[in-house]
Amino acid sequence: MARETKLRVEGLKTRFFTEEGQVNAVEGVSFEVAEGEVFGIVGESGSGKSVTALSVMDLVDAPGRVVDGEVWFRSPALADRVGEEIPEAVDGELVDLRRLDARERRALRGAEFSTIFQDPMSSFNPSITVGEQIAEAVEVQRRARANPRSVRSRTQGYGLSSFVVDSLLPTREYVHRPSRDRAIELLELVGIPDPAERAGEYPHQFSGGMLQRAMIAQALAGEPSVLVADEPTTALDVTIQAQVLDLLAELQAETGMTTVLITHNLGVIARMCDRVGVMYAGEIVERGTLEDVFDEPVHPYTQGLIGSIPDLEGSHQRLEPIPGNVPSLLDAEMDDRCYFADRCPKAMHECLEKPPDFAVDDLHAAKCYLARHDYDEADALPEGYFDA
Amino acid sequence: MGFGKFLARRILQGVFVVWGVVTVVFFLRFLTPGDPTATLLPPDAGEAVRQRLREQLGLDQPVHIQYIDYLTDIAMLDFGLSMREGRPVGELILVRLPATLELAIAATIVAVVIAIPLGVISARRRHEPADHGATLFSLVGISTPNFWLGIVLIMFIAVRVGFLPVGGRSVNLTQVVTMLADGQPQYLGRWLGQLILPSIALGTYFTALITRLTRSGMLEELGKAYVKACRAKGLPEALVLYKHVLRNTLIPIVTVLGLQLGTLIGGAVITEEVFAWPGLGSFLIRRITLRDWTAIQGTIIVIGIGFVIINILVDSTYAYLDPRVVDE
Repeated sequence: MARETKLRVEGLKTRFFTEEGQVNAVEGVSFEVAEGEVFGIVGESGSGKSVTALSVMDLVDAPGRVVDGEVWFRSPALADRVGEEIPEAVDGELVDLRRLDARERRALRGAEFSTIFQDPMSSFNPSITVGEQIAEAVEVQRRARANPRSVRSRTQGYGLSSFVVDSLLPTREYVHRPSRDRAIELLELVGIPDPAERAGEYPHQFSGGMLQRAMIAQALAGEPSVLVADEPTTALDVTIQAQVLDLLAELQAETGMTTVLITHNLGVIARMCDRVGVMYAGEIVERGTLEDVFDEPVHPYTQGLIGSIPDLEGSHQRLEPIPGNVPSLLDAEMDDRCYFADRCPKAMHECLEKPPDFAVDDLHAAKCYLARHDYDEADALPEGYFDA
Repeated sequence: MGFGKFLARRILQGVFVVWGVVTVVFFLRFLTPGDPTATLLPPDAGEAVRQRLREQLGLDQPVHIQYIDYLTDIAMLDFGLSMREGRPVGELILVRLPATLELAIAATIVAVVIAIPLGVISARRRHEPADHGATLFSLVGISTPNFWLGIVLIMFIAVRVGFLPVGGRSVNLTQVVTMLADGQPQYLGRWLGQLILPSIALGTYFTALITRLTRSGMLEELGKAYVKACRAKGLPEALVLYKHVLRNTLIPIVTVLGLQLGTLIGGAVITEEVFAWPGLGSFLIRRITLRDWTAIQGTIIVIGIGFVIINILVDSTYAYLDPRVVDE
């Protein structure tokens, strides 16, 4: 692939420190996304997909924390600026966002990174009009361009006092007129009829599909270079899902945004993505191009996922579900082994001794011993091994 | 539905509530034993005198006529004459109403000005010393009885330190305004001074309550998905916190504030007694012991109207804070 790397995540680890104990939600995730590429992360609920997205965006809230890992992001301008201060955070045109301070990272949100969240109804503030909320996203970037230093100040140039003044004086407002107009344009761009009128309506007056379109408009407001879409269609009806996916694909093709698409739906992955990472228990267990992963899955988990897709045209075989559930990610309950072994039809003794690792730089790679050698029945675990 | 229609409906509902209050108050009189003329006339008054008084007061009419007469009087804001002094009840209430409103509003202002910032700080610095301090304050505040706090404030600040008056309401607002126009601003200071201790005594409980409400409300809102979405679009933290989160937190707070203001109009009886504050609460209690029926009825109706007005204000604030309210 000739295109350059836009985003490279290495060894990302996110922990939640809860009362029940430490939860290892993301356990050393690594992946690379090239400029303009659509990278899919697929996995069951609870596999750590969404937390991975939030970790990349630096949006993990307490009690969670990103404890380790690197998030390299290509931005020549940022690399220039940061290079002298923190040389270890810069590698050519790539910058390790995890080594920047919180203000620098915050300044990238909306401008370079944008997010589409799962549930549009809860991702908009119910008591502010949709247009106003999109206009806010435009306004943040307008102000950032007007005064680049302010975004990296403690208050982003807009503290409590500015808010009080703007609230008390009827002639003053955070969001300026041009940003409101731009919000209406954006609503039109994502295919919302009567955008000027709809902009003045509240989220509860929108349908789910329309609101998801509005969220896409909001994500485009800052003309970001990377879009992280976290289950963008999960909360929608099936027919609306297709429309929203078409819109996303169209906008992606038009703007060339690098996209990280997170979903549990293999159909969505097949339709949208260039490359895929399959996530299980906080790890990416297999990665490769769409064709590699779908046509020649190596990891028994990937095989299981693909085996559980209903085939509309083919034979009327029974679907094969993967037995068991996603493991609890409590640190205390996680041994140093392959986490899939207890559900794996091909588990071997060596899977319990040491967790398998990727071969580095392999375009198609799996965290499984089966990627290195064939299944060895002599080494297989006896039936019912984990029941005891 | 627009806001005007919403407001009109609320006002209409309010009128019905007041009508209900007036009706209950009217029939309440028939539930208590004894002839009203017994309290009005000396025990040795003859039957002829009693009968004349009944006719004078319209008590000889059938109940439904009395009821309609009563409703007409109330509709014209005529609460009748006090059974004790023979002075118009409306006048007696009007003397005390400003004192009550003054104290209720001052206590609410104390509560809002202290509690909301404290709750916001507490939620933002969760599990940090500032949060522990605020939580301790609200626990103590909620557990402290008003009258005790009032007495302690009088003992230490008014008596021992000699700062601020012990009690009473020596200056009223009309005097302050006339004196200000006269170039004597010191009356403003006296007016404020006499208000400070009672409003602290009365407002502490509500300050504590609203601090807790603000804290828990903010924490709940901060966990919602839209907050993450706000941060994802790079919005300044001040806007996330105040324009988005605090505004949504205010909805339950406004409810409690409204209820509180309503109760305070009904009378902060104990605080009024401790500070010798001539408000409606102490007036009502005194009139009950005197069995001054017309005064009791009038006061209850005025308190009811106060409640209704505050509820309409609260509902309108809801509509401003949460547009979904108007649509329902």
